[in-house]
Amino acid sequence: MRYDFQNIVITGYASLSAAGTDSGQLLHMMTAKESALTPVPPEYSCGKDLLWGRAVNFKASDFMPPLKARKMDRCSQFTVATTGLALKDAGLDVTQLQPERIGIALGCGFSGLANSAEFLEGYFTGGVEGLSPMLFPNTVPNAPASNASIEYGLKGPNLTMVQRFCSAESAFLVACRCIEEGRADVMITGGADSLMPLMIAGFAATGQLNSYAAAFGEGCGLLIIEHAEHAAARHAKILAQVSTVSTVGLIVPGYEEEAEQILLSDLTAGTCCSFSGTAARTKLFSKVLTQSPPPLQIEPAVGRSLAMGGTALCALLATLRSNQKGLHLASSPEGPHYAISLTGGSPV
Amino acid sequence: MTASNRVAITGIGIFCGTGKDVPAFAASLANGISGIAPLDLFDVSAFPSKLGCQIKEYDPRTYFDSRETHKLSRADQFGIIAAGEALRQSGVLGAYNPYQVGVSLGAGASGMFQSEQWLRSHIQGVKAEPSLLRGILPDKTSTEIAIRFGLAGYQGSITTACSSSSTAIGWGAELIATGKQRAVVAGGSDTLSILTFAGFNALKVIDPNPCSPFSLGRQGISLGEGAAFMVLEQEHDAISRGATILGYVLGYSIAGEAHHMTAPEPSGSNAARVMSNALAAAGVDAGRIGWVNAHGTGTPLNDVVESNALKLVFGERAAHVPLVSTKALTGHCLGAAGAIEAVATMIALGGKFIPQTLNFRGRDPECDLEYCHNGPIPSGSDIAISNSFAFGGNITSLVLAR
Repeated sequence: MRYDFQNIVITGYASLSAAGTDSGQLLHMMTAKESALTPVPPEYSCGKDLLWGRAVNFKASDFMPPLKARKMDRCSQFTVATTGLALKDAGLDVTQLQPERIGIALGCGFSGLANSAEFLEGYFTGGVEGLSPMLFPNTVPNAPASNASIEYGLKGPNLTMVQRFCSAESAFLVACRCIEEGRADVMITGGADSLMPLMIAGFAATGQLNSYAAAFGEGCGLLIIEHAEHAAARHAKILAQVSTVSTVGLIVPGYEEEAEQILLSDLTAGTCCSFSGTAARTKLFSKVLTQSPPPLQIEPAVGRSLAMGGTALCALLATLRSNQKGLHLASSPEGPHYAISLTGGSPV
Repeated sequence: MTASNRVAITGIGIFCGTGKDVPAFAASLANGISGIAPLDLFDVSAFPSKLGCQIKEYDPRTYFDSRETHKLSRADQFGIIAAGEALRQSGVLGAYNPYQVGVSLGAGASGMFQSEQWLRSHIQGVKAEPSLLRGILPDKTSTEIAIRFGLAGYQGSITTACSSSSTAIGWGAELIATGKQRAVVAGGSDTLSILTFAGFNALKVIDPNPCSPFSLGRQGISLGEGAAFMVLEQEHDAISRGATILGYVLGYSIAGEAHHMTAPEPSGSNAARVMSNALAAAGVDAGRIGWVNAHGTGTPLNDVVESNALKLVFGERAAHVPLVSTKALTGHCLGAAGAIEAVATMIALGGKFIPQTLNFRGRDPECDLEYCHNGPIPSGSDIAISNSFAFGGNITSLVLAR
């Protein structure tokens, strides 16, 4: 499945990760092959030497009043903070926009599970008396997008996608369609994920610590996408144009060539690629590994997460030169697979 | 969605506490037979309410072999059963290239029922079966459906709490209307869990008696579980391959209220905006809407807000557009609620009746519209709206036609 877009541009982005909130710093770490991963404390590491990408320098109080922060789960705090940074990068003052014309489509992974676990632990250890009603509203995966919409007054389309390592890309496609279909002028899109120690125990139980869950990370990467006319009318800087979004759910034995045609038809010499999820392990994408320039991979720098695609797209945007082609590729082990094609600068 | 790319429904499937397939559910819907009863899926003795719409007498080995039973979460199992019924009715499997057939899922607590058993053991320091965690992510059901039925096209999961699966149907319809997929099985699956049962109890929004939407003295929801799906195709594709067309998804709209995580905006203006936008997307005048399948949870606030919204959309005609809730029949099935209600709407449209809102306790002066409390009524209406509201202020309206 492939959508071609003519009039969608990216006008801002922001990321928050173990590398901090400066996408340039993230890019520097990636190119210098540095890492912000830190050892998992022994009390959580199930007796193994593990690394994770905790956003240790993130302080919610830098972005919102402490009382407000206390009402949100960590993933919501990430999302609210990063939304503000991305809107600022795009030069958007939401109070000057029609609230019904700006929305959010967010990919999430384990969002909500931290509150779910804490809420249930209260019940399992203290019975009904141990239940904390304040925790329950943020057990839903859509809490981060909803908290961001409440914080910034976003009354347009509001959607959360979870699709394993392609959660952010799934949300990106919906966001593009919201713009193209005229449901919104501006969409905030990308991914957000938070880490909690219990996840390490879960990964250990399911035998994933040495595979897909090795060096898990957290954070948020968000893009501001707009209809080109809307961006032009407000004289916004154009970081990139969105050309296509392609996806297949499963790669069917005997139909691999067709899947490659759907996903990699925009791959040309000199295309700047980024990988997300398990793309580097996907056979279909193996030829991209030998391309020049080599694909950007944020995983060694800040870890892998289910919604890391948003942060990976931010890194790609930080790299793209005017008119340069960019191709973001994402995979989940059991599918789906995504390809997002961008053109840098302002070619519209 | 225009006349040239109308999205046809060629199969429906349902599996819930009110009926384990479409014929059984249709009979319950027509006769007002609720599945709300005492729960025994887990211990509810500590809670004021002990009721819900659980799928009783469910043995997964009726549907799955022992390996699958072990591997699939309860939500995965429900989803595969309901999606399978819809796909079989449509006859769509094998009709198109596998990359042209996708799955659009709405999910909620999903595999939490099993995952919380793992957590309890973990807290107690007891080694638990790792497979209990397999369904912890809500997208798992979509992947399992895709693998089982060989759907290699779009695979996506929407998780906007109680509006998830109606949004999944709207989004699935968009994939069809734009011609990017030839067929999509769209719907949702969700199960009862301690998390949601304890959570809604903690918020004091569960009625100790079977829920009574729009009635005086209502105290909240009754929870439920289940799955429902519909197969969507462009009308001309369905006709070309000789499929039976059950109805149409004419349009949809989604929005966030940006108001509060758990409480709807009191005036109903956002819900009215979404309904109006859905009608505009469908190209349907409000005057053609025969009735509305409400979100209708039975909480004191929701039902007043939804009644207010209906007045804003239909004006003086609002009193003549029945606003009915099928949640007193099915319970509130959270992530699957929107899909179950969409399928209920299609069955009622096809059967030319408007379902009853069960468990009337008395007239609430703030709910002063027609709710079909006295029984189902015959209706020649061709088009209805199905509403879904959710935690976080997510609202979805679907416009459905027979």
